[in-house]
Amino acid sequence: MVPMTAFALLFTLSAIGVAETVYLIRKRLASERPVCPIGGGCEIVLESKYNKTFGIHNDVLGLLFYLAASVVTACLVIGIEPMTLWETVFPIMIAFGSLMSLYLTYLQWRVIKFWCFWCLMSASTIWLMAIIIIISASI
Amino acid sequence: MNKSSYHILRVGLAVTFLWVGILIAKNPLDWGSFIEPWAAGFLPGSLHSAMVATAVMDIVVGFLLLIDFWTWLAALVAAFHLVVVLVVTGIGNVTVRDIGLLAGMLALMADSRPPSFLARLKSRKYA
Repeated sequence: MVPMTAFALLFTLSAIGVAETVYLIRKRLASERPVCPIGGGCEIVLESKYNKTFGIHNDVLGLLFYLAASVVTACLVIGIEPMTLWETVFPIMIAFGSLMSLYLTYLQWRVIKFWCFWCLMSASTIWLMAIIIIISASI
Repeated sequence: MNKSSYHILRVGLAVTFLWVGILIAKNPLDWGSFIEPWAAGFLPGSLHSAMVATAVMDIVVGFLLLIDFWTWLAALVAAFHLVVVLVVTGIGNVTVRDIGLLAGMLALMADSRPPSFLARLKSRKYA
């Protein structure tokens, strides 16, 4: 049973993820460069051939992931059925997202050899969500 | 307002409104108990319906703030909502928190107002 504090943190992190991916999608659609607060490799990473997975832009996949995480968290908090499904799906989603982020971070480190602030922030957000789930499950 | 501080304020207030909306949807009547008896008499429907509508409104406002879409309008609605909350719940331990949220929302509204709105105001002033 995940405590309410953990749900609040998980929801906050997924909402931050939504805001971040919406920002990146808007910048891409407007053909503008996103602000790159740390380092300068954002546009190199975001415009590389690895910016899509299965033909879909990674920012869109990220947005769908964070929206789904927000909705599932909200369903778990409000108590919308089927609760068993949400309780099963949520950790699987986060585990999949963590592995995907690990792969994308590896690409930045070893293949593209440039770091993107927004990609690292998104990866950290997902890993933090995974840590919260692991900690709350072990309490 | 600095661009970074604007986004931090926007996302922070968005998360607050979304989370409060979810909590109200979880226990509508518990949240409805904060309403002063004199104000509850003015509700057009049941307390439960009014609180569910409030939850939906909070979630919609929070989502608009989060995706930075119609931010000015969302902040205006949220500021009005906070004024109503301050009036109908009376003075309590959490009143100062609502005042802080209202100030933040007004700052966001002032910073995200459409430029055409200001231009129209100025043109009327000197017409």
